[in-house]
Amino acid sequence: MLLRKEDDSPEPNVQTKRPLDPSTAVPLELKTTPGYYPGLHALKQQKFWDAATRKLVFDRVGSTPPIRFFTPAEAATMQAVVDRVLPQDDRTEATRIAILPGIDDRLFSNRIEGYRYEDMPSDQDAYRIAIKAIEAIAQKIHGTSFHNLETMKQEEILQSLHDEKPEAAEALLKAFNLKRFWSMLVSDCCAVYYAHPYAWDEIGFGGPAYPRGYMRLEGGEAEPWEVDEQRYDWLAPEDTISDRPQPTND
Amino acid sequence: MSLFSSEAPLGGPFDHPAKDDGLKHLGPMQRIKAPQRCFNDSDLVDYALVGVGSAGGVLVQRLARAGFKVIGFEAGPFWDTERQWVSDEAGSRNLYWNDLRITGGKDPLALGSNNSGKGVGGGSVHWASFVPRLHPSDFEVYTRDGVGADWPIDYEDIEPYYELLEREMPVAGPAYYPWGKPHGHPYGPHPMGEVGNVLIKGCTALGIPVSAGGPVAILSASHGNRPHCIYRGFCIQGCKVGAKASTLITHVPDALAHGAEIRDNAMVSRIGMGKNGSVNGVHYFDAEGIEHFQRARAVIVCGYALETPRLLFNSACPGHEFGLANSSGTLGKYLMAQAGNVILGRFDNLIRQYKAPPAHALTEEFYETDPKRDFARGFAVQTVGPLPIAFAKQMMTAKGLWGWGLRRAMMDYNHWSPLGLLGEILPWEDNRIEVADGRNGRQEAYDKFGLPVAQVTFSLRDNDKRLIEFGKNKVMDIMRAAGATEVVQEQRYAHLVGGARMSATADTGVCDKFGRTWDVPNLFVMDGSVFPTQGSANPGLTIQALAARTADYLLMQGESIFTSKARDLSNPPCRRDLSPT
Repeated sequence: MLLRKEDDSPEPNVQTKRPLDPSTAVPLELKTTPGYYPGLHALKQQKFWDAATRKLVFDRVGSTPPIRFFTPAEAATMQAVVDRVLPQDDRTEATRIAILPGIDDRLFSNRIEGYRYEDMPSDQDAYRIAIKAIEAIAQKIHGTSFHNLETMKQEEILQSLHDEKPEAAEALLKAFNLKRFWSMLVSDCCAVYYAHPYAWDEIGFGGPAYPRGYMRLEGGEAEPWEVDEQRYDWLAPEDTISDRPQPTND
Repeated sequence: MSLFSSEAPLGGPFDHPAKDDGLKHLGPMQRIKAPQRCFNDSDLVDYALVGVGSAGGVLVQRLARAGFKVIGFEAGPFWDTERQWVSDEAGSRNLYWNDLRITGGKDPLALGSNNSGKGVGGGSVHWASFVPRLHPSDFEVYTRDGVGADWPIDYEDIEPYYELLEREMPVAGPAYYPWGKPHGHPYGPHPMGEVGNVLIKGCTALGIPVSAGGPVAILSASHGNRPHCIYRGFCIQGCKVGAKASTLITHVPDALAHGAEIRDNAMVSRIGMGKNGSVNGVHYFDAEGIEHFQRARAVIVCGYALETPRLLFNSACPGHEFGLANSSGTLGKYLMAQAGNVILGRFDNLIRQYKAPPAHALTEEFYETDPKRDFARGFAVQTVGPLPIAFAKQMMTAKGLWGWGLRRAMMDYNHWSPLGLLGEILPWEDNRIEVADGRNGRQEAYDKFGLPVAQVTFSLRDNDKRLIEFGKNKVMDIMRAAGATEVVQEQRYAHLVGGARMSATADTGVCDKFGRTWDVPNLFVMDGSVFPTQGSANPGLTIQALAARTADYLLMQGESIFTSKARDLSNPPCRRDLSPT
């Protein structure tokens, strides 16, 4: 699958995990491209890209690496984690971005960022420990696996990791600096999601620009092949806590 | 909407490089013969350079032009920019030194992508290419403020080399640059992107002078077979256009044309110690992992602030038990990074921060010590331009976002403008590089060749913290004055220098003012690791200028470098005839 397909099939039941129209509180309809740039489609610009970039981007879109690092049980937990760290319930099935295989591939291939913190194990061990901890927390609080929990309960556990106040598994998490793990987890999700042309379309990023370049630098003006912003109101789904303001580090 | 037909590319169909023409394509127009093996391991070459980055690229070019037999060893590949580089954020990660390092201390530095290169051109391949000069005050920080250190040279010693390198890159910027010692630039300034307009608007509202359109080592007009900038904003992903200067395209082709060898994918593991206290060559691993020894009459280490001390530590031998050229005990110490806080402002109007070079406007109005402030030295404010992945990580850190909150914030990517603080952090003995061989009682870690990796310790002191607090707030003021409705920030660091500093006396540093180590007469260090202090200027121009000056020194000294232990510290004449054509 190289190019997205329009997915017009109606969802069987209306999922409240989608963002809401604030005036009606009805979930916004599924979109091939969420965000404020309807019609922007980076892949359609491929003729203007150089060959090396075109190959790279199309390989990224067209093939999903197999899961080789995580065990099936670990992958089930991680899939649920990733679905909450960067939720895609507002995307059509065909345009969801496969985040977990990208993280798995990084860990399997040992693609590290060039360093390891003194107070952290290897990236691979950090993930394995964290998955155990997340499972232990879910079992202790709810008596079931993380991936079986409803959205809000999953988010509460993740928020407790974000806040560095886990409600169980303290002994496991002592093995490392939880703040650094959280940061690596969210970064890894972002590194896969925002590398994908569907995400570029969502945020209005022009994508590869060689050899053509940009001609309109000022005033936030769109290039002739970009589209203007069309804003609409957007509310997070009702059953989420991940849209609330977080304390900042200023 | 678009009147533009996607069937008719601007400028006609793109000419893809032939599959294999035996040439290296550097940008769309520059083609050079792929580097060839010129010397055997058993040949005695004059100079073996370790690392072909900002300093190594300039040195190998000048030494070759002067007729020396020279090999530049580079741990990474010799790039073909047309075939191997991409116009893509995630796809450019192999430009960096991503091998394992250990980082710690109270304020551990993120390493890898932000501050080190691997491959011919080194960090100059992915620098944003801001090229301000150091100020005259930078060379006498200790004398003026009683902190940090003095350099063993003055501004006047390096000034002719600033002028030379600004022409060789060449640098675009204003005709009159008011800070430090005022000077101009050979190429005109670049047009503004909207991030630059934010900086100008904010500074102007507060009465702060600002420089628009440079100084940056990016072509504002075509130069030889290098086209001018096309403002695509992928500077730190490697400039496929060839508009941004890197030694890969400015100096290395000239080095090859004058008989230098670049031995790529060759990881130097140890410097060989011969008789009479002189080095006699380098041990290195080739691409297949086989170890060799290359004979050389002198060795110049240009591996940058982490790999240079690491190599000298890993070259410890009888008589140099604590690392080569470390009789002063300063090797690995006085490591510096600059405060690189990113301040993010949200605007109601669109910015589209991905357009134009990340580096295109700055102010150095706060560079010098101000007695009215409660800290020594100062900072610059510069434009930056994170692409989506980097920006998402900044939103995560600055706003603590994840989940739907992160998705929502990212949908506003085009409404945010970033600005960067570049603040001087002073050199502290405890901020240092060691090697993770377990001898310091901490963890051990080795690379794929079995060599201990660099272990970095970094902590801020009070002066640094006060400077960052003041500087960060100043940039936030500028952002608000430009009209931002929400302002947040992320604390981070940029650039790495120090670790093998130059000094006036043998007991206070690793090398003299030309990079010649105090302990070994035919061993040199020349790269960012020799900086005693760093100012709040990006280090790239100064690194290249120092390298050009050392090349002049080596030419003046001639054979005596290889044969004599006498140390002549007189300044060489500035050779203007060695510039690449």
